[in-house]
Amino acid sequence: MSPTDVLADLGLIPIKAVVFQSMLLLVAIALEAMVLRQHLRLGYQTSVQYAATINLLTTSLGWIAFLSLEAVLPTALRQQIMSYVLFSRFFDNPWLDALPVMMVVAAIVVFFATYWVKLQGLSALVALLGKAPVLEAPALSDRPGRSRSSRRGAPSAARSRTATYTLAVLQANALSFTAIVILLFLQLQVVLP
Amino acid sequence: MIPPLRPYVTSLKTSLLPQSAFSWLTVIYMSLISWLMSGISRYLGASPFTVGLMATLAWIFLALGVGWAFEAKRIKPFGLSIGPWVSGGILCLFLFGSWGGAWLQPALITWPLVSFLVVAVPNLLSWELQPKRPSPAVRQSLALLLGFSLLLSSWFQFYFRLQTWLQDYPSLIADTFDRSAFVYRIPGQAMPLSAGVSYLTQAELLIKDQVHNKPWPGVERWLLNLRGQQHNLQSQVQLSQPASPESSLWQINLGTATQGNGYRLNIQAVWLGPSALDGGYYFEKVCDIMPVAQPAAYGGTGASPRPNAPLPDPANADPSRPAAVSTAWAQVRCQLETPLHQGRP
Repeated sequence: MSPTDVLADLGLIPIKAVVFQSMLLLVAIALEAMVLRQHLRLGYQTSVQYAATINLLTTSLGWIAFLSLEAVLPTALRQQIMSYVLFSRFFDNPWLDALPVMMVVAAIVVFFATYWVKLQGLSALVALLGKAPVLEAPALSDRPGRSRSSRRGAPSAARSRTATYTLAVLQANALSFTAIVILLFLQLQVVLP
Repeated sequence: MIPPLRPYVTSLKTSLLPQSAFSWLTVIYMSLISWLMSGISRYLGASPFTVGLMATLAWIFLALGVGWAFEAKRIKPFGLSIGPWVSGGILCLFLFGSWGGAWLQPALITWPLVSFLVVAVPNLLSWELQPKRPSPAVRQSLALLLGFSLLLSSWFQFYFRLQTWLQDYPSLIADTFDRSAFVYRIPGQAMPLSAGVSYLTQAELLIKDQVHNKPWPGVERWLLNLRGQQHNLQSQVQLSQPASPESSLWQINLGTATQGNGYRLNIQAVWLGPSALDGGYYFEKVCDIMPVAQPAAYGGTGASPRPNAPLPDPANADPSRPAAVSTAWAQVRCQLETPLHQGRP
């Protein structure tokens, strides 16, 4: 058996999905590392490591969710997913009219789910590494309310740290989602005929 | 010893004999010895447990030794340390390859995770099997590696999910995937025949069974109830094909038009599933159903049979056998080709 026969036996390979996803991951990691670095006062290397870790984790969990959800969906809806994966289009079946709404809803759900997973992942990672990044911006603690609360001690410091995390991850996620949506749109319009 | 051979022998000695007892070569030798012991115990008719235990030890030593060798020899293509991945691959081959059957799927899916464990376990357990806490830098790289191996495993799972789809819906393989943003078909594969063609062939057989060489009036009545025939045909064709989730996506359509003094029957197999073609596609087969005069096979013995003769003029009919001669029989002729049309009929 020649090597080409072995390759042909592979059937359909999701190589385009792997390449596109790797590219999107690189873009998302770069953008989110920028945001995390600014908000959490991290070094370049640390912020890229954090962003890469939480994005790899979120992407894998997303795959697991997709693969398990796809197995339990109604048959007609699964056929629409196949149609989109294999032919980049939907076909005429009873779900066709509901699909645009479902996609928008799914995108919103995915945005908040990834945001939540990334936030949890980041705090778990910081706890795993046993260090809290330097957070308090001096400009913020100049405000009277902030200085009073900082005098009260640890709980409010933890609260403000959580607030900084929440904001940083939310902004990072929003930025990377915007970039990914633009890139996916370009891919559909330009790369594919 | 022959003097010119001496340098070769010494170099062979240094490469075959481990520098110290604690080296990868020792582990490889332990693996070989375990294989040998397994073979000997099988030859001596030892219990399957002994043979299996020896073979298991051999596999584990092989995985350990090869991984160690990759690390010790600093084989790092593109600066990546691939030793754990090779060890993980050997372990997966052993874990799932000995099962037999469809072992490739679980082996490939777990390979990245097993490789992650190969990296992680020495970092998390000491030699005394006590849990230990690695440095933050190692913890960070382990977390990254876990994410990466999970992603790799997901890609393998996605590949196998695609193959499941194509097994369930074999007609999809006959389509084109140029527009897909996910998948690529390696060129040079044989394009399989769409299931629609075999549906049409089956439908032709069933129609011939019901119509061919049957009395013409009955056939005309059969054609009158085309809707009912279509319904029957659909369920019969589906029963005759191997059960598959895609069979409900093939719809058989029948249409008639008058043709001479007979009818032209269009049999269409319409694909209602996903397709690269805008609006889907259908296959069509054209059959002609013609009345043919035939002397009744059950009646006449003396009359010479004239198969395929045109319908005789009733005026010229033999008056002695009116019933036999005036009986017209249906003849079904189908074209061989089943062209593909885009859209819906």
